Amino acid sequence: MTWFAPIPLSIKLPLLAAAMMVLVGTVASQQVLRSLAQVQDARIQELARMHVEGLSVALGPLVLRHDNWEVYDTLDRAAQGGEGRRMVLTAVADVRGRVLAATDPRRVPIDSDIAALAGDAVSLDDLTVDGAAPVLSLLAPLSYQGRAVGQIATEFDVSDLLIERRQALLYLIMGNAMAIGLLAVVGFLAMRKMLHPVTSLARQMTETQGKPRSIPDSDIPRGDGELAQLARTYNAMVDAVAAKAEAERRLAERERFVALGRLSSSLAHEINNPLGGLLNATDTIRSYPDRPEVVRQSADLLDRGLRHLRDVTRATLDQNRVDPETRVLGPDDFEDIKLLIQPEVSRLAQDLAWSVDPAAVSASGGPAGPVRQIVLNLLLNACAAAGKEGRVGLIVRSGAGGLTLQIANTGAAMPRAALDRLLGDGPLSPGGGVGLRLVRDLARKMVGTVAHARENDVTRITVTVPTPGEARDAQE
Amino acid sequence: MAQTLSRRMFVGTALAAMVADRAGAQPVFRLGLTPVFLDNDAGVIDGLRHALSRGMGRDIELVQRRTYQEVTGLLLERSLDAAWLCGYPYLQHADLLDLVAVPVWRGGPRYQSYLIVGADDPAGDLADLRGAIHAFSDPDSNSGYLVTATNLRRMGAQVESFFSRAIFTYGHRNVVRAVADGLVRSGSVDGYVWEALAVIEPDLTARTRVIARSEWLGFPPVCARRDSLASEPVRALQTALLSLAETAEGRQALMSLQLDGFQRATPALFDGIADRMRDLDP
Repeated sequence: MTWFAPIPLSIKLPLLAAAMMVLVGTVASQQVLRSLAQVQDARIQELARMHVEGLSVALGPLVLRHDNWEVYDTLDRAAQGGEGRRMVLTAVADVRGRVLAATDPRRVPIDSDIAALAGDAVSLDDLTVDGAAPVLSLLAPLSYQGRAVGQIATEFDVSDLLIERRQALLYLIMGNAMAIGLLAVVGFLAMRKMLHPVTSLARQMTETQGKPRSIPDSDIPRGDGELAQLARTYNAMVDAVAAKAEAERRLAERERFVALGRLSSSLAHEINNPLGGLLNATDTIRSYPDRPEVVRQSADLLDRGLRHLRDVTRATLDQNRVDPETRVLGPDDFEDIKLLIQPEVSRLAQDLAWSVDPAAVSASGGPAGPVRQIVLNLLLNACAAAGKEGRVGLIVRSGAGGLTLQIANTGAAMPRAALDRLLGDGPLSPGGGVGLRLVRDLARKMVGTVAHARENDVTRITVTVPTPGEARDAQE
Repeated sequence: MAQTLSRRMFVGTALAAMVADRAGAQPVFRLGLTPVFLDNDAGVIDGLRHALSRGMGRDIELVQRRTYQEVTGLLLERSLDAAWLCGYPYLQHADLLDLVAVPVWRGGPRYQSYLIVGADDPAGDLADLRGAIHAFSDPDSNSGYLVTATNLRRMGAQVESFFSRAIFTYGHRNVVRAVADGLVRSGSVDGYVWEALAVIEPDLTARTRVIARSEWLGFPPVCARRDSLASEPVRALQTALLSLAETAEGRQALMSLQLDGFQRATPALFDGIADRMRDLDP
């Protein structure tokens, strides 16, 4: 039955329904034919009994007298009757089995042995219209006044009964075939229609293309049946999934705005502070234009301040470049990150331990954008976790699996929800941000790994980014 | 005057009633029939009865029995007034019976006995039928038994040993049927009956073939007891038979019987049968 398994349910059930109808039709036909056979047997037995009894009454004295002619004349006249046509041959013998007369004297002559005729004859009770023989043979005793005075052998023509049976069989086959065919088609279509919602549901579920689609109301069966409930439940699930995705999108958006706001405030702080110094320097130059050393010092101050502003601006631009993946990671990227994180570190008066191996970074060949995003996200998280006057550190070096980025911080351990987002693929619990899940997704996209460790009240997140060559091998 | 007329009328009416009573009181004439002719046709029997009844001026009851012996016995014991017998039983009881009339067939009061076989039987004469199953009409029939039995005797054979089995059908038509249907191979039959059947049932006789014909012998006669031959009813029957051809009803009956009429007969007409009877005596 393994061949049956791949057939769709929408075909399988109608086929089963049609098969059941064929089975029922076959059984019904068998019953009809059996009844017909019983009726025919009863009919032929009754006829034979009447034939034998009638002849016994008429022929008894004649057989006793061995009156060949009268026996023949009686048989001949009986054969002219209506039912006589069914009697192909009737022969009457005396008690010794010597034929007195037969309806066909040329075939069964006077004085021949009736045993030669009754070779395959059966008794009255065993007479049955069975098999393909169009002629039945009967051998019965001829009783007169309570004693057997002879024997009667009769051949019955049952070809018409066989034809009747064959016709009945033919009509049954034709009728059943038409009825079953019609019912099977109707059943097939009805089952298909009933199963349409299931088919539709299966199609909607398999053809989601990344996003499940609702079943149109027109395809939902009317009423409150199981299939209608199934379709409605499915639509409710689809709506729930869509609502959840929308909520996550909004959450990510919000977090992005939060991060952006936090960064903006830091940048403003970073720019505002130098700006005050720069304006003081310009005031100083205006006040003391004739003092070259003061002008030079002020100019140097201006130069440093402007360079700092330029660096901050460039780092911000690089961070928000539209297509950052196209650029290969370099040591400058970490300088940018340091520049970007610095305002937050300063704000929280934290101790930043920074250790980047430029050679390892250059040798990694990884994409700049995702790595910058990962490191910045983790560092911002680390700053938040370390709190006021905490310690935050970054170690970048070459490891066994590629470039290793380790972000460490003191402070409270990461909550379970945050760890789930960072280390697992399970659904996002409501309320949390998407930054950590973004880290995980970016690392996975680069075929990298993310590990978490907590030792001596220090949280260490280690992200290993393989070189592009290793990543391709791993993917293959 | 009125009284005289009344008395005359009364006497006349009474006399008329007496005469009518005498005519109506005449006993029914009982005529026995043997299967010497087409006795299976009710129309033929009725036609004959009506014609004779009209001719005799009295009712006739036609009495049929299965065998010649039964009819002859009824006649001898006076249960019948007359009977259409065969020449053979007539001669067997010639001391008690006398001839009333004899039919005329094809211009004469004689007929033949036929020996018939199936149409496709190769037999050419009686000798070819040794060991066959043979059908006789009646043991008291001249054409249906006596002729073949005496022919065998003349050949030095016996019916019982020459044929493997001999059956009696008690009817000439039955002999023809038995041969035609193949129940028996051969049969002895009245030539007049076979010829009559050839006209009305040609399909039946076509399945048989005549392989031997006897000499012309006296046609089966109508007989009565010798002691009642002069009685009025028998005389009336004789008159009716002899004048049968003179009435339309009589001619219709004769036509049905395929006979020309009836004539007076003498015992000499049956000398041929008497010769055969002597041959049969041991």
